[in-house]
Amino acid sequence: MTLDHATIEELLAVRALGGLDGDDTAELDRLLASHGECVECRRIGDGFDEVAGRLALALDPIEPSPAIADRIVATEQVGAEQVSPRPQAARPRRAIAAVAVAAVLAAVIVAAGVVRNRPIPVTLAAGQTFVTFEAPQGGGVLTLAHTPGRPGALFRGHDVPDPGEGRVYEIWMIQDGTPISGGCVSPTDGRLAVFIDASLDDAEVMAVTLEDPSCPSAPTSEPVYVAELA
Amino acid sequence: MPDLAVLDHRAARPDLRQDVETVDLAEARDRDLVAKVGQGDPDAFRSLFARYAPAANALAVRVVRQAHLAEEIVQEAFMAVWRNPGGYDPSRGSVRAWLMGTVHHRAVDLVRREEAHRRRATASIPSATEELEDHADRVAGEMDRPGERRAVRAALLEIPEAQRDVIRLMYFEGLTQTQIAEATGLPLGTVKSRALLGMRRLRSTLGGLAP
Repeated sequence: MTLDHATIEELLAVRALGGLDGDDTAELDRLLASHGECVECRRIGDGFDEVAGRLALALDPIEPSPAIADRIVATEQVGAEQVSPRPQAARPRRAIAAVAVAAVLAAVIVAAGVVRNRPIPVTLAAGQTFVTFEAPQGGGVLTLAHTPGRPGALFRGHDVPDPGEGRVYEIWMIQDGTPISGGCVSPTDGRLAVFIDASLDDAEVMAVTLEDPSCPSAPTSEPVYVAELA
Repeated sequence: MPDLAVLDHRAARPDLRQDVETVDLAEARDRDLVAKVGQGDPDAFRSLFARYAPAANALAVRVVRQAHLAEEIVQEAFMAVWRNPGGYDPSRGSVRAWLMGTVHHRAVDLVRREEAHRRRATASIPSATEELEDHADRVAGEMDRPGERRAVRAALLEIPEAQRDVIRLMYFEGLTQTQIAEATGLPLGTVKSRALLGMRRLRSTLGGLAP
């Protein structure tokens, strides 16, 4: 760390705590400007801001008036996107097709050896479970982390092939043979990170298919990734 | 760090060490909520509000010392989230740090605008230890993240009292480095160095959570 960085670090620590004032405010601005796009400066500052953000959690929480949230959502958003609800359970009129594809999913799972050589979910800290997908047709690595008994799962992938023009990856939770969409996603530079706000407790299998960007409510192709849940 | 919902499956799965990053489900959920707020989803906003508004309000109350002003600050801060969720930059850190930083800045700005602040700044200042013990006595049963609260308090109690005092006065009392130097009689350079050393230690104890 250079002398400049030592000074910057000290001033960033004070700034994160909200205590910077006087000439030091201008001095920090001057030093940061002289460093341009300084990755180290940003890393230090973001790290201290993160610590400061956690300090607030040391206090006993005080519930504010619940009317505040009501007042806020009653106001108009600026530049909000149109809400596009994620497809939920397959619609009845597509149930037969969905079940048929689910059967295909099951066949592929067996063919891929997922059942015979099931990837062993690794139970980690705080009761969370981590599963790696099999990739009978796909590439790269796709993983899932979730906490059994609680909603929410985080999918991450790397070295995931581009789905191709006009195609996206759609994530499915298979419950009692019925695929339920977890949403669609496209990788960026081979990387994926998507949070699914749904419970996986009733899902036996997770699968990923290549679909149309409209994100259909029932799968139309065979899975490129599959994982059996514990 | 208990109950932080932070996994490092590289440790549990040696075969994945080179491939997979640390997973933080809680943070992933927060980012998902912010993304949904960006789509105008009021339920997502309410979830984010329920998750962080109590901590934000506690922080604002602590800094401004007036409940009605604190609620105004919380409302302004969350209104900014609702109106401009794009203000959150995932590359800069967690949603939590962004929200608490917003609330803290607003609270500190308000305090410093008040003429009465100087009187308040020079009033009797309890020791950091006394303050933390006071908090410990009031641990609420309904805390949403008690493990994290314990972890942060423990981390604060681990650092030397002189550093903890400076951090408390700056962050929780909203005093500037100059005001602290005046109130305590410490040289300004000492105030800054204690803030730095304390923050370094906290960063080390609490871990870097920036993605």
